[in-house]
Amino acid sequence: MDKKILLRRMRRSPQFVVGGILVVFLLFIALFAKWIAPNDPNVVNTMIRLKPPGFVDNGVTYYLGTDQQGRDILSRLLVGSSASIFISIVATVAVTIIGTSLGIWAGYKGGIIDNIIMRATEVTMAVPTLTLGIVIVAVFGASIPNLILIMVVNSWNGFARIARNNVMVIKNREFVQASKVLGAKSFNIMWKQIFPNITTPLIIQASGSFGSIILVESSLSYLYLGIQAPQPSWGNMIADCRNFLPVAPWTVIAPGVALMIAVLGFNLLGDGLRDVLDPKQRR
Amino acid sequence: MGKYILKRVAYMLIVVWAVSLIAFVLLRAAPSDAAVLSLPDTATEEQIEAKRTELGLNDPYIVQYGNYMLGLLKGDLGTSIMYGYSCRQAIMSRLPATFNVAITSAVLILFISIPLGITAGVKQGTGIDFFATFFVVLLQSMAVVWVCILLLLIFTVKFNLLPAMGYKGWSRPEYLVMPIIASGYRLMTSLTRMGRSGMIDVLSEDYITCTYARGMSRFEVYTKYAFKNALIPIITIYGLNISTMLAGAVVIETVFNIPGIGTMLVNAVNHRDYPLVQSTLIVTAVIFAVITLIVDIVNAYIDRRMQLN
Repeated sequence: MDKKILLRRMRRSPQFVVGGILVVFLLFIALFAKWIAPNDPNVVNTMIRLKPPGFVDNGVTYYLGTDQQGRDILSRLLVGSSASIFISIVATVAVTIIGTSLGIWAGYKGGIIDNIIMRATEVTMAVPTLTLGIVIVAVFGASIPNLILIMVVNSWNGFARIARNNVMVIKNREFVQASKVLGAKSFNIMWKQIFPNITTPLIIQASGSFGSIILVESSLSYLYLGIQAPQPSWGNMIADCRNFLPVAPWTVIAPGVALMIAVLGFNLLGDGLRDVLDPKQRR
Repeated sequence: MGKYILKRVAYMLIVVWAVSLIAFVLLRAAPSDAAVLSLPDTATEEQIEAKRTELGLNDPYIVQYGNYMLGLLKGDLGTSIMYGYSCRQAIMSRLPATFNVAITSAVLILFISIPLGITAGVKQGTGIDFFATFFVVLLQSMAVVWVCILLLLIFTVKFNLLPAMGYKGWSRPEYLVMPIIASGYRLMTSLTRMGRSGMIDVLSEDYITCTYARGMSRFEVYTKYAFKNALIPIITIYGLNISTMLAGAVVIETVFNIPGIGTMLVNAVNHRDYPLVQSTLIVTAVIFAVITLIVDIVNAYIDRRMQLN
């Protein structure tokens, strides 16, 4: 698509602009959290437990208050973003590559390969994300690589199905037939002829998957099956302070709102991209 | 139609078999020894060895797999280490709580999201549409945990209307209100979204213009023609997500302390009760497969073209 048209559409889509700004902001925080965080997120000080936002102690201001162990919530919030966002980015990249490759292979080869890969997508769809996540953690333990594995196993099927269905349409076009007749290798046809033509739906799928991965990670961390203490994550922050809800609601509201803003950013960017890349749109 | 259903049933059986195979392999890959786990810490080497033989852990894998499959076919899911009785009994005693929440929620969702989505689609660009879309986007960005916490903050901490946790079945429905909302909000937003975009797509089709040209009223066009076609993606998403709701129950049941499958699974994981984890995985897959099958058949009835694929 023409670059100028794309840029114009991007500027005109409010979702894309708002989502994009939020995502850039989040990436910045996730990358530099250690330096931005005003205090050490893991320093325990039982003298200042559950203090409200704006609390000042020894000249240090706790802008979002402190949790049940007297740790600075703002610092934990900032540092907690890194792991979630890192997992969501690595997993999305991995799942896009794996799912797309398998999907193109299935769609292009057809027959038995297609059948096996499609049945495999059904098998992984038959086990709900969280259930499979819990089982994998139960067997292999909770660690960041395992969390990424869970996300990959859970969402490769969407990419595979989309890639496969699009390849089925493209592979019968004249230009693909022509390469075949000219003696191009299957791999080259798949990679150079077919792949560039199916990127749009895959980009849309990928942009949607960032947000859902953050949500799954937060659920696992809430159950203490995700990112492990002492490393803070939004999910385990909520779990830690859940019992203090009536006396210190800010301890839970802060990570909850952070989660919502992060996912909202990625979702808006995804919706925006959908509009921007929509081939039906004229301008 | 018969042939189509047979084919779907065959696929369903393959899926369930594959999940049971994965469950078997995962259990064998687990680092802890089931014999050690099911005995007290004071057990001697001989006792552990005897238990291993009793549990069949010394047999070759192929024999173990054969016995496991035979058991599954008879409906025997093994014995839970944590509870000491059969996994089947453990799951059966906890399914009702999970189902009560999920199914009530699933039914309520239909009455909210289909009218909302379709109204938004028909009245595209108006205030109602903006309102619906805005809430859908906002709700879709909320984590289950966060929704539970918000509900608690509003209904329990602030207004003291509902009990914070517990489960008393249908005799005390006030305990079910928050779990039902938390379990359904996600699917409600997707359905509203699907209904809206489905309606918008259908209404721009040529045959809709045709029906107007034949002098039908707007109401007739919406209900007789557009609605039916907008319904197909809704049913598909609905079916796929009911089982996701059952899984999402893990978090909700933990927050509201409901004795369902979800809390049981988390307990089983924490106690390394692998047989129970494995059985929960298989039962979830069976529930999913059955729901998917029903969805496929319903869709095939609505849209005959699908039977061709």
